[in-house]
Amino acid sequence: MDVIVCVKKVPDTAEADVSVGAGGREINKERLTFAINEWDNYAVEEAIRLKEEDEGTVTVVTVGGKDKEDILRRSLAMGADKAIRLDMEDPEDSFVLANVLYTLIKDQKFDLVLFGAQSGDFNSGVTGVMVARMLGISHAAMVNGIEVLDGRTKTSRELEGGLNEIYEIKLPALFTIQTGINEPRYVSISGIRKARKKELKVMTPADVGVTEVKPMLSLEKMYLPPPGKIAEIIGGSPEEAAAKLASLLKEKGAF
Amino acid sequence: MMEVEEGNFDEAYDVYACMQCGKCTGSCAVSLRSDLNIRELMRIAILNENGELEKHEEIWDCTSCGICTVRCPRDLKPAEVIVGMRSSLVEGGTIPITVRDALESVGTNNNPWGRPKSKRAEWLEDLDVKVKNISEGEDAEYLLYIGCTASYDPRIQSVSRAAINVLTKLGVDFGILGEEEPCCGSEPRMMGETGLFEMLVEDNLNLFDEFSISKIITLSPHAYNTFVNDYPECAKRLKEDDAEIPDIELEVKHYTQILEELIDDGRLDGEMMNEFSETVIYHDPCYLGKRNNIFEPPRKILNIIPGARCIEFDRREDRSLCCEGGGGRMWAEGTGTGERNSIIRVNDANRDEATVIAVACPFCLSTLEDARATAGYEETMRVMDIFEILDEVLK
Amino acid sequence: MTVYVLAEHRRGELMDVTFESISAARRLNDEVVAILLGKDLGDHAEKVAKYADKVLVVEDERIENNTEAYTQVIGELIKKDKPKVFLMGNTSMGMDIAPALAIDLDSPIATDVVGISEEGGRIKVMRSVYNGKVLSDLVLGEAETSVIAIRSGEFSAADLEEKNGEITKVDSPLKEAIENKKFLEFVEPVAGAVDITQADVLISVGRGIKDKDNLPMAEELADAVGGVVSCSRPVVDYDWLPKDRQVGTSGKTVKPKFYLAFGISGAFQHVAGMKGATMIVAINKDIKAPIFSVAQYGIVDDLLKVMPALTEKIKELKS
Repeated sequence: MDVIVCVKKVPDTAEADVSVGAGGREINKERLTFAINEWDNYAVEEAIRLKEEDEGTVTVVTVGGKDKEDILRRSLAMGADKAIRLDMEDPEDSFVLANVLYTLIKDQKFDLVLFGAQSGDFNSGVTGVMVARMLGISHAAMVNGIEVLDGRTKTSRELEGGLNEIYEIKLPALFTIQTGINEPRYVSISGIRKARKKELKVMTPADVGVTEVKPMLSLEKMYLPPPGKIAEIIGGSPEEAAAKLASLLKEKGAF
Repeated sequence: MMEVEEGNFDEAYDVYACMQCGKCTGSCAVSLRSDLNIRELMRIAILNENGELEKHEEIWDCTSCGICTVRCPRDLKPAEVIVGMRSSLVEGGTIPITVRDALESVGTNNNPWGRPKSKRAEWLEDLDVKVKNISEGEDAEYLLYIGCTASYDPRIQSVSRAAINVLTKLGVDFGILGEEEPCCGSEPRMMGETGLFEMLVEDNLNLFDEFSISKIITLSPHAYNTFVNDYPECAKRLKEDDAEIPDIELEVKHYTQILEELIDDGRLDGEMMNEFSETVIYHDPCYLGKRNNIFEPPRKILNIIPGARCIEFDRREDRSLCCEGGGGRMWAEGTGTGERNSIIRVNDANRDEATVIAVACPFCLSTLEDARATAGYEETMRVMDIFEILDEVLK
Repeated sequence: MTVYVLAEHRRGELMDVTFESISAARRLNDEVVAILLGKDLGDHAEKVAKYADKVLVVEDERIENNTEAYTQVIGELIKKDKPKVFLMGNTSMGMDIAPALAIDLDSPIATDVVGISEEGGRIKVMRSVYNGKVLSDLVLGEAETSVIAIRSGEFSAADLEEKNGEITKVDSPLKEAIENKKFLEFVEPVAGAVDITQADVLISVGRGIKDKDNLPMAEELADAVGGVVSCSRPVVDYDWLPKDRQVGTSGKTVKPKFYLAFGISGAFQHVAGMKGATMIVAINKDIKAPIFSVAQYGIVDDLLKVMPALTEKIKELKS
């Protein structure tokens, strides 16, 4: 089984103070740290797990400048065999990015393509499925289990409320991977050093024949939400407060 | 410490000298409440059966207190054998998720707490005193190395602030590195991430060199221990591998040592303090006591505080009961069941009618503070770092 | 001009996001046409028709529980009618269908949308990005039809105007059954096995629960809300709950949609294990407890009083 995994490097904004730059086009990134998108990390682990179970190769792909190579090196250290960096500015528009990745992937040999179900920066969750559609292959989003059969897979998709649905899907196919599908292994520093020998291929847009397409969305502005309140206190007697909280939970879809 | 290739534990740690006497297990701080049996692990090392280490979940139970190494009649280092075994697991990638996340965070955020690098100096916000920042070009005799836990844990941040207040009052010329302060690497090393530790040693020595830092005061005994005992050996090895390591000699002191010097020089005495009407019991941190034989300085400080009635634990100095905060245990719950050592410790202190447990280590403060609340001594007992006590009593 | 809205249903149940989608569609001041696909549709059509201007029903067994068939059928319906917008929930189903539809129809797409409006003939959406720290306003490119997937729980369906729209049955445009992607079965979460990292709702208890005998109270709340009970370290120390329920740096890191912290003070090590939750509610007697600084909502009261009251209210709302 030959698997291609598309990965992206994203800023870690979970705990950092985030501010928007002048012009409202982009956040200020100087003080942020960057790492492989969390969902993509699970996808890489899943690809390697599939390879270890059966045989085949794992190729990791990213789009961007040289500063993006560390996530490829890391994936190689995890057990991927080959890495490709498409040397161009990482498009922010999902459709443009999908078109670029489609162009690159269509000429590669693969049985399965994996993406993270979404990325931690814009959380759109559309690129993978778009690429599948462009390639004309089957897909499944939010995948939390893959079992390979002969030329097919039994694929579990995560639904709401802990329920899963199982599909039988013909290969080649593309899945977008949900976190929790596996436990990504730790990649040690010495492991990364040892993986330096593995192939990391740099390709240009011209090499793969990237064509220009129009972005689907145009950003008007980015801005910070109104100042976050420190825990809005729900007042009243225990019964009153409980009633308010229950309605709030229902409204937000907890049950 | 070295990288252990499959099948050479015996050579790496000279374990053939082990006669399986069991003194290590007998003295172990956690063997009573966990599956950790260090003698058995030594046997595995002798037989080089390290292919099955994944099954030994208890390898992550070790707090690295070092008592086994103190007690070994053959002068072996069983605690280091465990580090080697962890290292082998780290290389394989199969480690507890919590340990994985802590190590990854050191790689990306330069601290194991998963907190952003940009918030490392957050603890300074409520401080009235002006502190020199060496990374911004200000000169100071000493670097006050805060460490990750005292930078990020809100309870321990109070120790960092107390340290600034006290050292400033006592006229010590010091500065900090603020957001630029790196992880010292002690916990990553104890969790077996050899490569990451080496990288930190290389980066940190270059950073110290860049800012002409040669004298360091640490808040944490763990940082102290690694700067004093691990850095020189690691730097030597890296140099042999042609790494660019600056030739600097670090003079590192735990803060209790600096305060002791100030007492000896007549710059700190009881007359500078208000009464502290408490019964104070001192808990020896393993990394100050067992690992570095520093027993006197903290006691000397507490003894000059007017009004303080200083008492001692029955288990003290090199027999002190480990709080279970070290050796990566902040990120690995372990297989242990039954009463935590920290609970035993606060119960002992309560029995001895102590009103303050004095500590000199961020991990001890964290574990004992938690135990104090769990055991229900919130009204009757405080756990305080020695810096916090001084900050309270200094006029 | 019309807006198409997908009526999402599963195993005989119509999903709430259907009505939220209608609510979102109403912001565009157009005719709202709901589409309902599959088999065994019960009274779904009537329920949806109450608030939609029109309902199109395609009854076809081959579509039921098959996202690929859904995509193709929706695509055909859209090609015929050319609605200005197709709108559905950014649910697991939406994540599988919407981007594929966008490519099939050459449509711009915006997902996980929390605000929607129309300005000068163009569709404008609000999305929350970078972990909810930043909002962004985006304008969709010009196209015959735009695809929008809305975030669940963001568009209230409480005040929908009654329309009692017409229900029309439409012949299934699906040419052939989908062979490449076959639905096999639903798999329920394993009963009894508790994995706190996978739960959407965590009822987390701390020292404030006071006694092991109070734990059934938490279990009851968890059952009512369809969640799982987790805890902070002291509760494990007391041996009241097993270790695999412990949240924190030395326990498990959880990211549920809802984290209800009962009697948890919020020690640093605990907070580090749950701060990724989408919505955190703290119930604690001590207003100074650090947990309130990470929570979005708080109740300052005795959990032993609030918890049973909450269980009752939730049961009431569910029935």
